[in-house]
Amino acid sequence: MLSWFLLLVSIYAAGLVAATIGARQQTQSADDFMTAGRDLGILLGSLTVAATLFSTFTLLGMPDFFRTHGVGAWIFLAVSDGALAFTIIWFGVHLRRRAAAEGSFNGLAGLMRSCFGSRWAGLVYLAGVFVFLIPYVAVQIRGVSIFMNAIFPEALPVWGWATLLVAVMLTYSELGGLKAIIYADAIQGMILLAATVTVAYGCIANFGGITELFDQVEARNTALLSVPGPAGLFTTQFLLASFIVIVLVPVTQPQISIRLAIMRNFGAMRRMAVLLGLFAMFVILATVPIGFYGAVHYADSSAAEFLVGTLITDQAPLVAAAVAIGLIAAAISTADSQLFALGAELRSLMAGDEQTVMRRTRLSIFCFAAASWAVALMSSDQLVLLARVSFAGTALMGPFILAGILTRRAPGVEIIVITAIALVVFLASVLGAFPQMIGPLRLDLLLLITLGSVAIVSSVRRGSR
Amino acid sequence: MFTRNAFWKFCCGIVIGLAALAFSPLVLAPGRHTPELFGMPRTLWLGILLAFALVAMTLIGGIVHPANDAQRDPSRDGNC
Repeated sequence: MLSWFLLLVSIYAAGLVAATIGARQQTQSADDFMTAGRDLGILLGSLTVAATLFSTFTLLGMPDFFRTHGVGAWIFLAVSDGALAFTIIWFGVHLRRRAAAEGSFNGLAGLMRSCFGSRWAGLVYLAGVFVFLIPYVAVQIRGVSIFMNAIFPEALPVWGWATLLVAVMLTYSELGGLKAIIYADAIQGMILLAATVTVAYGCIANFGGITELFDQVEARNTALLSVPGPAGLFTTQFLLASFIVIVLVPVTQPQISIRLAIMRNFGAMRRMAVLLGLFAMFVILATVPIGFYGAVHYADSSAAEFLVGTLITDQAPLVAAAVAIGLIAAAISTADSQLFALGAELRSLMAGDEQTVMRRTRLSIFCFAAASWAVALMSSDQLVLLARVSFAGTALMGPFILAGILTRRAPGVEIIVITAIALVVFLASVLGAFPQMIGPLRLDLLLLITLGSVAIVSSVRRGSR
Repeated sequence: MFTRNAFWKFCCGIVIGLAALAFSPLVLAPGRHTPELFGMPRTLWLGILLAFALVAMTLIGGIVHPANDAQRDPSRDGNC
């Protein structure tokens, strides 16, 4: 397997170098560097958004979710992603119109400052994405580092893999800017899809067909075939809260909103949304047999044993090597986009001459990467649940962003204040300092309902004045 | 005569309906996995149908969206 891995990693690295050089040659200005020339087409657009959305959370976390919690995982992610594709069209149009009305889009933080007429709006958004995206980036880096260390224990320790991954993504991000990231995402998105589908096909073939696969799962553990699953995780309330936070990803997460804003035109954006939806369906469909293969053959194993066994040991050397590259690609493509987006958000709040702003932006991307690397060495291994916490944290800013973008008059300062309080309360609950259930309701759902209600009432009252 | 705006709002209504269906007892039936389709349990095959229906609504919604008219007049497209 090692020789295949070295061959494929060389091809992958050559692709990244070519993407960086190509992007560097096309980058004429600081604005090009940060926004890729604001001319993103359909294919590149769908691949970069897909690669940014689908991370190790999909390739490692979802199979383990199917293995341990059963078919509810499909509702958890695939149904939510189908609705997310529709949200892209609805929100993308409003975002692009509002951004055009306010001048030029450089980041949601800057746009919120303009919409609310308050620098605090920009700062609350920046603080929210920083607090909830850095752990998500860290989880990507940690997940793949642990996995690579398990495959090649002699090569590098976990911290060594983490350092290597951060160094690679920083190099091409800092050299080629957003365009290099988008080109790299396109390569990484195709690797991710090919690797996942190949492994899924092998898993189905192992059982002799889909019916036989589910027969064996039923014989092993019937609870996997219905909700809420063996551990009772997939309750209607959990799935509904997850649906809302995932559907709000295009609204709240800066790495997606910047891509919507720089799509060539509406036609490109709507086609991108459809391709993204199809990409999501095929990738998540592929994780179903991988997870249920684990439910039969690795029922009592740890998550790491299951993943290494299913994705590497049980595969032909070429496929195993492609999966390893796919995992690296999945982690890098998500993490680089998020780190770069954090830098872009900070830039959208900065003023001054372009050279100084760009120097500070590049430095901030480096600092965000260093922070993620440090958190990666300390974070937990619960990939999917940590990702969900990140989505839920950023989703709390959904009503605040929608109030800013959808209302003509500047929304009230009360929306900024209550959003800041909600972020602090949710963070406290994640750290165990605040209960996660308030009566019969999950805290994240209660906070979203409260924030949504305040945003609607405030906007209606201001609109009627 | 139906306008693009009316068709778009109709699509939004369908998407909300599909999402509501996904969380109804029809799809999320605790402890029940029948009827099966091609061996797949009820929640999974119904969920697959719903997810693909949502993608289909994205395709249709994009076609009927009023911004398609605006695209012919780039100043209204919000291209930034």
